[in-house]
Amino acid sequence: MRSAFVIYLRLIAANIRAQLGYPVSFLLEATGTGLILSMWFISLVLIFQRFEHIAGWTLGEVAFLYGLIEMAFGTMDMIFSGFDPHFFGSNVRRGGFDKLLLRPEGLTVQVLGSSFVFRRLGRIIQGVVIFIIALSMIEVSWTPAKILYLPVVFISLICFFGGLFIIGSTITFWTVESIEVINILTYGGSEMMSYPMHIYQDWMRRFFTFIVPAIFLNYYPALYFLDKPALQALPSFAPFLSPMAGFGVLLLALRFWRFGIRHYQSTGT
Amino acid sequence: MRTLWEVAKLAIQRQLTYRAATFAGLITNFFFGLLRAAILVALFGQRQEVAGLTVQGAITYTGLTQAVIGYLSLFRWTEVMDSVYSGEISSALLKPMNFFTFWLSQDLGRALVNAVLRGLPIMFLYALVFDITIPSQSGQWLAVLAALILGWLVSFSWRFLVNLAAFWTPNARGVGRFAFGLSWVLSGFIMPLRLFPEWFVQFCNFTPFPSMINTVVEVYLGVLDSQAVIRALLTQGCWVILLVTVAHLVLQAGTRRLVIQGG
Repeated sequence: MRSAFVIYLRLIAANIRAQLGYPVSFLLEATGTGLILSMWFISLVLIFQRFEHIAGWTLGEVAFLYGLIEMAFGTMDMIFSGFDPHFFGSNVRRGGFDKLLLRPEGLTVQVLGSSFVFRRLGRIIQGVVIFIIALSMIEVSWTPAKILYLPVVFISLICFFGGLFIIGSTITFWTVESIEVINILTYGGSEMMSYPMHIYQDWMRRFFTFIVPAIFLNYYPALYFLDKPALQALPSFAPFLSPMAGFGVLLLALRFWRFGIRHYQSTGT
Repeated sequence: MRTLWEVAKLAIQRQLTYRAATFAGLITNFFFGLLRAAILVALFGQRQEVAGLTVQGAITYTGLTQAVIGYLSLFRWTEVMDSVYSGEISSALLKPMNFFTFWLSQDLGRALVNAVLRGLPIMFLYALVFDITIPSQSGQWLAVLAALILGWLVSFSWRFLVNLAAFWTPNARGVGRFAFGLSWVLSGFIMPLRLFPEWFVQFCNFTPFPSMINTVVEVYLGVLDSQAVIRALLTQGCWVILLVTVAHLVLQAGTRRLVIQGG
């Protein structure tokens, strides 16, 4: 276990070194990514000039949720770069995955270490900026419990999105091509989670409650942090299910991943 | 003109081989459309109309903008810069056909397939799920068609121009990503331009981007009177002429300094 972690760190370090080899290009890419993504939030800010709130939530409250999701998704996107379904799918197609199978190390560690897209830092910073803007716009009545729970939600979100990436990658064992539909869950899921969930239609909210438990990771915790009333009566423990939903999805994903590896057949390239 | 159509036909055939990808793209675009519609509806809340846009118009807007993603290749189009980096551009330059026209016909085929297999089904699904706006007069339909064609021409010349950056920098992909991101806001793709503050809309109108999407949307929704429609179409036409001219000048300057690296 310990040696696996050391190997992981070495792989990541080599990856980062390679990317910092062209510092100007790296800086441009990272700031570019951050700027492009911020266009969505800037549009929202501009449009809020005409609307005071979105279904009872102010701009600051939406920004709290939005910034939190962006930070978590960006961090996940960096740590789980190797499991990015597009990257992983092309790796399977070209036979890069077969190479990993030949090496005397754990597969999951190798895949995690196979890529570490450092320019995702741009997205994380974008999320941090939005989150800070949110905190300056609203008064959150912080309690020790809330301060302790915030990092828990953050880590749970990373596990949750990471689990979705792993599921998306495992599917490419069978489909070979990365399927664009998985984007609905990953990118679509993160975009949908950036807004208070009561704006969505019932079937959509039910899907993201019972099938993909996203609502436990953004909406319910946000209600707790911001002391917002829920539209429907909720059990009082609902905001605290984040770790169960986050780690649960990740564990299920890893199971599916092991199952996929056992049934893997190479493309022959 | 004939060669143009022949090249486009080949592009159509090639595009048609990616049927599964097109279908997946369609589903994804539709899902994101539902999300964006929910956000706009929630923003409208009790209000029926904001800045001349009705709730129904706003929902239709999300459908239209999702429907043109494939048609205008809104997220990514790097074919010309890829050919510069791989050196394949040399064979394209040898062809007895204008380089710009060659890519224009390629893109025509790609756009047509995407319009029919991705754009129309999205609007159809929207009509099933929502009560969307549908133009009733044939004159308006003609104007929509004109706006769509001109919008594609503006979009293509702009994308082509961005790709030409590859002649000068090895980092054209980064330039392209940024240029595309910019076009999302300024064209009225992310949010309807009408809902933005006045000063921002005026700024957008100095750029070619509203001519790509916003014009199509406003003509389709019928929020413009007939004079304004004609003015909008003329503006699109002016941008086409300007961008095509600039693209040719930049292309000339670029090919002069192009050195094919063998291989």
